[in-house]
Amino acid sequence: MPDGPAPVQEPVLDVRSLKTVFKTRSGEVHAVNDVSFDVRPGELLGVVGESGSGKSVTMMSLIGLLPSPPADIRGGQVLFDGNDLLATDAETLRKVRGGRIGFVFQDPMTSLNPVFNVGFQIMEPLRRHMGMTKAQARLRACELLELVGIPDASRRLKDYPHQFSGGMRQRVMIAIALACDPKVLIADEPTTALDVTIQAQIIELVKDLREKLGMAIIWITHDLGVIAGIADRVMVMYAGQVVEQAPTRELFGNPQHPYTRALLETIPTVRGARPEKLNVIQGQPPILGAAPSACPFRDRCAFRFDRCDRENPVRIPAGPGHDAACFYDFNTGGPRGA
Amino acid sequence: MLDEPKQPLVRVDNLKMHFPIFGGLLRRRTGEVKAVDGISFDIFEGETLGLVGESGCGKSTVGRSVLRLYEVTDGSVTIDGRDIAHAPPEELRQMRTQMQMIFQDPQASLNPRMKVSEIIAEPLREHHAGTATERRQRVLELMDQVGLNRDFANRYPHEFSGGQRQRIGIARALALNPKFIVCDEPIAALDVSIQAQVVNLLEELQNELGLTYLFISHDLSMVRHIADRVAVMYLGRIVELAPRDALYDDPLHPYTKALLSAVPEPDPAIEEKVERIILTGDVPSPSNPPQGCNFCTRCPAVMDICKRDEPEFREVQPGRFVACHHFNDII
Repeated sequence: MPDGPAPVQEPVLDVRSLKTVFKTRSGEVHAVNDVSFDVRPGELLGVVGESGSGKSVTMMSLIGLLPSPPADIRGGQVLFDGNDLLATDAETLRKVRGGRIGFVFQDPMTSLNPVFNVGFQIMEPLRRHMGMTKAQARLRACELLELVGIPDASRRLKDYPHQFSGGMRQRVMIAIALACDPKVLIADEPTTALDVTIQAQIIELVKDLREKLGMAIIWITHDLGVIAGIADRVMVMYAGQVVEQAPTRELFGNPQHPYTRALLETIPTVRGARPEKLNVIQGQPPILGAAPSACPFRDRCAFRFDRCDRENPVRIPAGPGHDAACFYDFNTGGPRGA
Repeated sequence: MLDEPKQPLVRVDNLKMHFPIFGGLLRRRTGEVKAVDGISFDIFEGETLGLVGESGCGKSTVGRSVLRLYEVTDGSVTIDGRDIAHAPPEELRQMRTQMQMIFQDPQASLNPRMKVSEIIAEPLREHHAGTATERRQRVLELMDQVGLNRDFANRYPHEFSGGQRQRIGIARALALNPKFIVCDEPIAALDVSIQAQVVNLLEELQNELGLTYLFISHDLSMVRHIADRVAVMYLGRIVELAPRDALYDDPLHPYTKALLSAVPEPDPAIEEKVERIILTGDVPSPSNPPQGCNFCTRCPAVMDICKRDEPEFREVQPGRFVACHHFNDII
């Protein structure tokens, strides 16, 4: 995997200061706070975070998949193909979704419709977005199933989702997402519901497809292991914010945010050294009742000092292509800029 | 760890758990799902036996059968010298205090209409342990022990986070001072940063109370952390059982090799060097397992004999058991 600085290219997707709030009966929940990132053509961006860190909500917000109410997008821009997706009309958005931006969700059983055969479901975006005739769409659907490694494709088009195994269903989902030749593929925990041996199959498939098709991929996961093997660049989210962002090797080798560090120390592995006792991140993630005015990680942080209680840090450059939202400088062992 | 030779606390011998399938107009028995198909293992006092495998391999069924939450089809389960699989109801009831279970989903395994104190006290009430005041005292002790704030005794489960709910489940399991606890995917529903908290708690309790665990999980890295010995299941059978380090450093069975190689490594430098064995195809149905070795349809090292004869589960090195024809010559 190339680890050096990527050639300077215009980002294919550019998200700036996205803010999403949910209005509930018991008050507001600030799920996404000022999230900015971009993805370059052909790049695989890994997004890591625990449940509730806002990684899925960020992705759903940017293509308008959240019902409003309760969701309320309070600000930001999502630049894609010359449009701001947050400012555009519903019709344009519908063309982008499933067309130039494809999706794969976590659970392939709930995201496929059980009453239509998979052929119909793969042909649907082709006919809607690409204006293909039924015959053309069928031909292309067949190609797509072969592309994602489903044997005997033409016969399997007539099968229904329940006739496929979990791994095969996820392949079908990937085929649907790829149908209109997307520029960006958003995969939200695509292997979390699968067993490890099947997960390994899907990861191999995605690596292979990326080489063949060259689209940008945003891969959301809570599994740092999956990210290490597949991503070019990683973005770590905590409490609705991006806390650190770096090229993969840099992030794992030289993490600059205490949360990233703690996360890397807490996970056991099947190879390498086995610690007698697991490191623990004490406490729990905060409840996001309001936009944070101080660092959201401070209560669980071993490097906390007074500034962390007063201000919420913004992302500060910490190396080439590397930034972290923390006032503590791990290189000098003191406050940043002190 | 103790140096003296340990006694097996739990002995499982040729355990089978087949679930009937009914079909057709008259709902006649048309077949059976062989969820667990003849497995044997021992768990020594004070140790943790990890039981790993992919979904549908029967590992949870083993956990439930061992505690006789199912009536087993065949085989025997002995806990602390008493045969639990065939014990009459009243005897079984008394034996139940010795063995408990921690479930995967703390949301589903705690009654939402009961207060935490009632949930933890329920086993005590059920087995008539102590007076009301004594029970109350015991509940508070247990809450301290698992790291729950005493002040929250009168709250309901929904007021707690996932990790805290799992602590409630653990406190309930400890209430009757059991010797043996089946942990069925106790951390699968929790976030990574919370998983370590719960695993460390389970380890501390084991050291303090001398507990014996059967730790069922699909998370191979967590099992490597917590288990002393590990059994790997595939399609209703144990394919390999070995001490933890031996299994992870030098897996013998082709399935164990593939399973371990498939686990992603959270370090790009190591990850790059991992040689992956990508298995093709899916797990066959347990209602219609293949002839011969259960793994023969996906095994990268399959031989003719594998499709004909079922391999015997035997000790190929001291303490290491494997069911594979590749190890037939080794004694």
